[in-house]
Amino acid sequence: MKNIKPYPTEEEQSPIKTLNEVDFSATYSYADYMRFEFEERLELIKGYIFKMSPAPSRIHQKISGRIYVSIYNALNGHKCEVYSAPFDVRLAKKTQDDKEVFTVVQPDIVVICDQTKLDKRGCIGAPDIVVEILSLGNNKKELINKYEVYEEAGVKEYWIVSPSEKTFFRYILDDNGKFQPTKLLTEGEEVSTTIIPGFKLVLEEVFKD
Amino acid sequence: MKNIKPYPTEEEQPPIKTLNEVDFYATYSYADYMRFEFEERLEIIKGHLFKMSPAPSRIHQGISANIFVPIYNILKGKPCHVYCAPFDVRLAKKTQDDKEVFTVVQPDIVVVCDQTKLDKRGCIGAPDIVVEILSPGNNKKELINKYEVYEEAGVKEYWIVSPSEKTFFRYILDDKGKFQPTKLLTEGEVVTTSIMPGFSLVLEEVFQD
Repeated sequence: MKNIKPYPTEEEQSPIKTLNEVDFSATYSYADYMRFEFEERLELIKGYIFKMSPAPSRIHQKISGRIYVSIYNALNGHKCEVYSAPFDVRLAKKTQDDKEVFTVVQPDIVVICDQTKLDKRGCIGAPDIVVEILSLGNNKKELINKYEVYEEAGVKEYWIVSPSEKTFFRYILDDNGKFQPTKLLTEGEEVSTTIIPGFKLVLEEVFKD
Repeated sequence: MKNIKPYPTEEEQPPIKTLNEVDFYATYSYADYMRFEFEERLEIIKGHLFKMSPAPSRIHQGISANIFVPIYNILKGKPCHVYCAPFDVRLAKKTQDDKEVFTVVQPDIVVVCDQTKLDKRGCIGAPDIVVEILSPGNNKKELINKYEVYEEAGVKEYWIVSPSEKTFFRYILDDKGKFQPTKLLTEGEVVTTSIMPGFSLVLEEVFQD
């Protein structure tokens, strides 16, 4: 795997040009992630590599757009900012050194109220809100792996949206730093949040065909 | 079940032979429900009529069986009984008189531990566990209307299963008679319940096709 360079230093690692060079059973850091030069999108969760769907479905994008715009409009003049995928969120345990960052995810939508967490490359540290829109079939990554890292990192609200069932589910971080589940919502109900005063998400509009 | 008697009295109302004779804006009781002679399945929630899907999908029925059978097996020799749809559950507010029962639902699966709630026609009063399997699209009935009546009636656990997202969600009734949401589960996780000691539902098996 290692290219032999004339004078290799520890700092200069070679780029990883194709997905085939990636070892899915190995542990990767954000420093490694930055060496990926292939097109396929991957996420790192606790050092492990997870594939992302190559292109989200039309419905997925439509729902993502509606939630994004509602938030964007409500944030006018607020200190919080909203971003949508592809946008790297790095969750570091100890230092923020690239080699010590083992979780790099691309949530569908994030809201970040602490500007010091933003840099040129994305967000380092827990966003205030993370929104994930589920896709058919395998949602283990969102419901088990990301649930864990978002709670550990201190994400204040984790929204999970199901396009096919037209449901909206939310975890809210409690005072002990634990995610508390809330009622499973659907069309006919509305979502508001203390993080964005005045914001209101009308689920009928989010899910309408 | 409907006996034709020679001399109708005020008590004996005529049968309702086709769905066209039903007024979806009117209020119906279980006594009215017993007069329905058409094939279409309806549920009554707080007096209002709700249509049911004519035939559930293959996946829906497969998942229903994957949940029913483990419950059935664990309940052998126990006081609790498990039934699957079509099975009428009547939730009465005051008396149990047919004319005073305004909620009659057919959950996908119910577990009833109090034998006195069972009669020839089904179950009268709150089951211990109700399982509803969502269908794509409109889940308002399950998530808003039934949520309300199950909580009011005192259903101890309300399980909501999504075949398309492969998720399992559960409300547990707390000491104050309020439903408390719990973590959104998926494949790789296992469900147990204090209502059926020794029972464990392996979600990987529930959702396998």
